[in-house]
Amino acid sequence: MSLVYMNIMMAFTVSLTGLLMYRSHLKSSLLCLEGMMLSLFILATLMILNSHFTLASMMPIILLVFAACEAALGLSLLVMVSNTYGTDYVQNLNLLQC
Amino acid sequence: MMTYIVFILSVIFVMGFVGFSSKPSPIYGGLGLIVSGGVGCGIVLNFGGSFLGLMVFLIYLGGMMVVFGYTTAMATEQYPEVWVSNKVVLGTFITGLLMEFLMVYSVLKDKEVEIVFKFNGMGDWVIYDTGDSGFFSEEAMGIAALYSYGTWLVIVTGWSLLIGVVVIMEITRGN
Repeated sequence: MSLVYMNIMMAFTVSLTGLLMYRSHLKSSLLCLEGMMLSLFILATLMILNSHFTLASMMPIILLVFAACEAALGLSLLVMVSNTYGTDYVQNLNLLQC
Repeated sequence: MMTYIVFILSVIFVMGFVGFSSKPSPIYGGLGLIVSGGVGCGIVLNFGGSFLGLMVFLIYLGGMMVVFGYTTAMATEQYPEVWVSNKVVLGTFITGLLMEFLMVYSVLKDKEVEIVFKFNGMGDWVIYDTGDSGFFSEEAMGIAALYSYGTWLVIVTGWSLLIGVVVIMEITRGN
């Protein structure tokens, strides 16, 4: 397996770690989710192009479609949180008190 | 150096990812993602996938990142944090860069790295060739097969996008 794959899997892991550790903004975690989708797209495209698996070339496009759906949904939730609390800070989401 | 251009581009890709995973203010994170998207497009182009590289620029950067930029402009604070304005962000960024350069150094020293798979440096400039593909691009033909072999896939994704729009309108209706 060539070295490019190692770097792209490393990028996926870095983005996953960034998603799981919050700081103040919810938006940064959504950005890390987008980064995971981008690295998956690049990894799938490179493997498909390298092995000349022609018919699977439609798979990264379909992945991008569902990633766009998911990003739009996440952003709409963020917009509603920002409408209620003024900012998108994670510490505002504290209705659960147990 | 040109034989290792793909490896260098992938190192810049990881550095862009570390840039937004260290979580500065979201507008600067979006900048890191745009840089990574551009470099990722370059990697895909080097493997001969011109249509998919164009998809990254048009759909991913031009569609999704623009929407991210607008919502960031809506929900941002007055003095956004850059990478050097907070010790945690700077420390995470430098740790991520250090990790990447240590990995690159160990690759250059041993010519082989074993993490879960065995990665060797010999395959970077060898593209497996399974014969002559004629005058058409295989990747474009594979994507064009989306409309013949993948009709059901198109119907499912189109329907899910429509349902996504309806769900988002219901969420943002409020009350």
